[in-house]
Amino acid sequence: MDGVYRLKRMLGLRVFVGLLVLDLLEYFVGSRMNSGALIPLAVLAVPSTWLIVRFYMHFAQLRQGGGH
Amino acid sequence: MTMETGAQHRLRVNHLGLWLFIASEAFLFTALIASRYMIVGLDRPDDLNQTLGLAISLVLLLSSLTAYLAETAIKHGDRRGLLRYLTMTIGLGVVFLIGVVFEWNEGLRLFPPDTEFGSAFFTLIGLHAFHVLTGLLAMTVVLNLSRRGHFDADDHWGVEGVIKYWHFVDVAWVIIFPTIYLVS
Repeated sequence: MDGVYRLKRMLGLRVFVGLLVLDLLEYFVGSRMNSGALIPLAVLAVPSTWLIVRFYMHFAQLRQGGGH
Repeated sequence: MTMETGAQHRLRVNHLGLWLFIASEAFLFTALIASRYMIVGLDRPDDLNQTLGLAISLVLLLSSLTAYLAETAIKHGDRRGLLRYLTMTIGLGVVFLIGVVFEWNEGLRLFPPDTEFGSAFFTLIGLHAFHVLTGLLAMTVVLNLSRRGHFDADDHWGVEGVIKYWHFVDVAWVIIFPTIYLVS
């Protein structure tokens, strides 16, 4: 396994850990707060979405011409 | 200045087309998520099974990781890795759908589709589950093609396209999960 491949796999794992933490935080906020949870939940959804679009969906690729 | 080959041009158009398709799907989900707030406001039933919602969320997040690993594998010419991680992604997608069946079963008892929350719940979860199902079918086709020797480090648009779609399904759930289960 070459170094770049290993680095990319590690990056995927780190992103997953970030998503996991955010998801658990969302659950904690949503299940503990009986009211007023909308704003904190919306704020927490932003980094989750960004992580997936940026690192898993490679959005930047689109601006670079979309090549492999 | 380098000249773009026909294959590179086609790949660029494919990427653009897929992102436009994903954007159109995002509008559909945004409209339905907005309708949840318009129809039901911020209310949710007290007996909603949030733990089950969290469990299937974690399963879908994990499937996004395995999908990413499958795409990364074929980009580096690792066909065995592609087959392994794509199979895992499909398996996790099936587990997610089984979780949806359980939550629908509970939902039918607690808030039937003819109630305000029920209509939002079944429409949103149903539309999302349909996307999961189509993603699973597409990944199964790609898995079978991979087994027959299709795709390599230089030519893997089929894998990339279907996995981007799968990640979009995950992004949609990242918004739907708090919208249905957590907002109050």
